[in-house]
Amino acid sequence: MTDAPPSADPNRVIASLARDQVNLDLKTVDLCFLAGLYLRADKAALASFEEDVLIDLFEQVCDVVDPGAENPRKRATHAIQRLREQRMLARVDGAGIVRAGEYALTRLAAAVVEYFLADEALTRESLTLLTGTLRAQLAEVLAAAKKADGEEAWRTKVVGPLRVTVADLVAGIERRQRGLDAQQEEVQAEIAKLLSADWFSAVDRCQSLLDATTSTLRELNEILLRDTHHFVALLQEIQALATATENTDAEATVQRVIEHVDRIAAWGGARQRAWSEYYQYVHRYLRDVVRLDPDRALSQRLRDQLAGWPRRPFHLVTAHAPSIRLLRALEARVERPPVARPRAEREADPEWVDPENVLADIDALVARALDEGKTTLAAVSEQVLPELPETIHYAATGRIAHAVAQAARVRSERERPWAPVGERLEVEDWSVARRDAP
Amino acid sequence: MTDSTFHTLEAALADDHFPEVDLMLRRGRHIGRDDGTAYDYLVDAQSLLEPFYRRFGCELVQQSDGYFYLLPSGDRLGRRQLSACEMLVGQTLALLYLDPATLQHGGVLPREALLQRLSGLLGTDALVRTLSPRKRKYDERIAAETVRTQVGEALRRLSELGFVDVLDEARLRLRPALMRFAEPVRGLSDPNVALERLVARGEVLLGEQNGDENGADDDATEGEEPAP
Repeated sequence: MTDAPPSADPNRVIASLARDQVNLDLKTVDLCFLAGLYLRADKAALASFEEDVLIDLFEQVCDVVDPGAENPRKRATHAIQRLREQRMLARVDGAGIVRAGEYALTRLAAAVVEYFLADEALTRESLTLLTGTLRAQLAEVLAAAKKADGEEAWRTKVVGPLRVTVADLVAGIERRQRGLDAQQEEVQAEIAKLLSADWFSAVDRCQSLLDATTSTLRELNEILLRDTHHFVALLQEIQALATATENTDAEATVQRVIEHVDRIAAWGGARQRAWSEYYQYVHRYLRDVVRLDPDRALSQRLRDQLAGWPRRPFHLVTAHAPSIRLLRALEARVERPPVARPRAEREADPEWVDPENVLADIDALVARALDEGKTTLAAVSEQVLPELPETIHYAATGRIAHAVAQAARVRSERERPWAPVGERLEVEDWSVARRDAP
Repeated sequence: MTDSTFHTLEAALADDHFPEVDLMLRRGRHIGRDDGTAYDYLVDAQSLLEPFYRRFGCELVQQSDGYFYLLPSGDRLGRRQLSACEMLVGQTLALLYLDPATLQHGGVLPREALLQRLSGLLGTDALVRTLSPRKRKYDERIAAETVRTQVGEALRRLSELGFVDVLDEARLRLRPALMRFAEPVRGLSDPNVALERLVARGEVLLGEQNGDENGADDDATEGEEPAP
């Protein structure tokens, strides 16, 4: 289903697939086995298979695919295990080891088999049927949207059908478009094969294949152009109603369906253009190459020419007018002046400025404080710091302690007390005595 | 003439397409149906332009495969003969053009297919010796690289001349003008006689390549090796 929920962030999905190391490894025998199961379930309307049935069927498949294989029962056991690991088969009985299991094909297995079995290419009939049903469905949804009078009504009558029925129908068209793409590739390969095998005799068959595909594409494109226009108009009407009732969920759902429908319409135009190019190319080829060389002798003659070319070379001649030369205007050679600037006395005379020697200042201030009889480091610092610029107070406390230690005898208690100095600093205090003191 | 949009040469030359088409033709480009309106213009103005170009000593040639080109017959317009590598690549591409397998993809083929077919038809040794005739001994790896480089350069030139479209680094689209390479063997007559006829018409020159005539610029890398 292409109607991915809004939360399905591609990056997250890819990361989670990579984290789980998801992979598929199906051998021919596995695919044949799955196809056999699918067809038997379809024919006998079976929802699940008993283990014995699985093994019997595998043995039958093995007889066809690999007739000489030894020990098919053992191979069946491995195949069932392999398919279970790859989520192709699911055990559905829940009986564990109590009895033999019962198995069903998973959605993944059904999709894989359907891909190989289904021949779902878009035809005029299938497209007309699908678009007609889709249009009726959209009209119903629109009528429901007009009547919807609450959140619940919008959810069940509008959003639900849009997400399931309408989206399924749109996806059905898209799936058949992909089928037609594959058919076109087959037609292209078929034309090449026909010409390789029959050359001139194949011209008419190639022409009819080309014409048939061209008319199919043109018809489909016309239907798509006409009907998608109606779909979008209906969807836009539903979206307008959703916007009016401020139902963001319905609005987003309609938007996703509109984008999907746009993609379908774009497919028709793109394929018709691409096919048109191919058609013209092949048409020219049939006319200029095949019809003019009915015996297909030219390729062989050209091959011989190429093989013999080194011994007898020849060269094609082509016109070769050189580009027009634009000559520059004549100008006398100009001497570029040397880089210079006016002479000037750039050395300024030195000026007398006040000396800046904080260290000397600190030593002198400390000596003066000591002379004045300060007896603790805190007291000395308290006196010296105001004389110094405030920005260096923190650094200066260390220098003051050093100067005090140099100029006086200092003593400290084992647990040195912290003493405040000014408003913002504290120092671990010492008692200070002049060196000449007794 | 009566069906033409243009009634006088003046009208044909005054058309918006003329300058571009004229430059393309003079530079040796083969203008085909794939060129869209340029081709349509030439079809429309053909009867007026033929005598116009004859005055320059050239012939405006239209081939039944659906392309035009200018063939210098005198000395008034510069001309160039294709190099050995261009000739080999052109003939191989013509062969691929004729192959129904190429038809499956609308004339688009991978570059590798060209090299494979070229070496398959001539053999690697003959290919190397043809493209580097002066070398007596060669290292296989260097030679292969040289061949690839020369083929790449030849493709670029053939693309400029309208023989092939280089879609991207890996893919080429073949154009009907490639059938010029098959002209000597197109009829049922003896190829040598056909070749002589083409030589007489000035379509083809025999013998080793002489380079450009009339002093046209040519930055061909003939005989050069790629930088190590």
